[in-house]
Amino acid sequence: MKKVAALLFISALAVLLLYVVASMPPMGDPDNPTATHVIPRYLERAEEETHTVNVVTGVILNYRGYDTMGEVTVIFCALAAVLAVLGRERRGVIHGFVDRSEVPASVIVKTMVRFMVPFIILFSVYTILHGETSPGGGFQGGAVIGGSMIIFTTIFGLYESSRRIPLKVRAPLEGAAVMGFFLVGSLGLVGGGNFLTYAWPRVAQGLHPSLVVWLTVLVEVGIGLGGAMVLTSILFAMIREEEEIAPAS
Amino acid sequence: MKMGTALNLVLILLLLTTALLAVTARDLLAAVVVFSVYSLIMALMWQRLQAPDLALTEAAVGAGVTTVLFVITIFKTRRREEE
Repeated sequence: MKKVAALLFISALAVLLLYVVASMPPMGDPDNPTATHVIPRYLERAEEETHTVNVVTGVILNYRGYDTMGEVTVIFCALAAVLAVLGRERRGVIHGFVDRSEVPASVIVKTMVRFMVPFIILFSVYTILHGETSPGGGFQGGAVIGGSMIIFTTIFGLYESSRRIPLKVRAPLEGAAVMGFFLVGSLGLVGGGNFLTYAWPRVAQGLHPSLVVWLTVLVEVGIGLGGAMVLTSILFAMIREEEEIAPAS
Repeated sequence: MKMGTALNLVLILLLLTTALLAVTARDLLAAVVVFSVYSLIMALMWQRLQAPDLALTEAAVGAGVTTVLFVITIFKTRRREEE
């Protein structure tokens, strides 16, 4: 009986959803409501208004700056929640179950990881710094740095990994995204404009437009560093074990 | 049928298959691996829909970071779902 009721409910929902999908405007149609209101303005004037060639970055960091600042805060809150549940390590070296794995990583894997990680980090730095001209940006680059940390930690263990990024480096940088965004956003207020606008009407009018680009890059770097450190800290908090275990090698 | 349409169809079919497998698998590790494949196909879909920013995010976060976090969680809890 319960299953029949569930099936009926799901079927009704499916019919409803399919009906709505059928009445949606076709994808990519220039007459769509999404393509007629704000999108033309973004596409036409993003470059002169935000000084970023990549319109997506202009929308994310400038037109919809409030949304992005909220997202950055959400990521920071996620880290705070994880640390509230799992606890932060005391100062010093930490160990995890990766360190006492019964199957140690082979020489080939270790050499490959040692070879790959610098290039992955180089790619993520490129992604962050070129966020205003090409696809990508702070979030993506930060996630890629976090991914490289994950590879390194799973192969070489938490002991080696936490020696390279100790707590005193991670802790101040975790808030870099929120702080950087807020500080650069407040600069707009100081200059007589709106919060989170990089083009200040009174002060920056006579300045070189590349200043706006540099502020955008600064926010991107903050988001990238903050995101990477948040991911690393979540990973460390999840792998870490309380008791002191000597590393295998 | 055009080449692009055929590729889209294959991607959507793979997407549906991996989504169903990830939900129905009793072995949670297998479910996580299938979910990672789902994220990778989703990244390809974003690229086909001309959203490279989203494709990068999906590939890095969806296929990379969350998979490892799920695996760590499974390692610290139990691997099989209860009946």
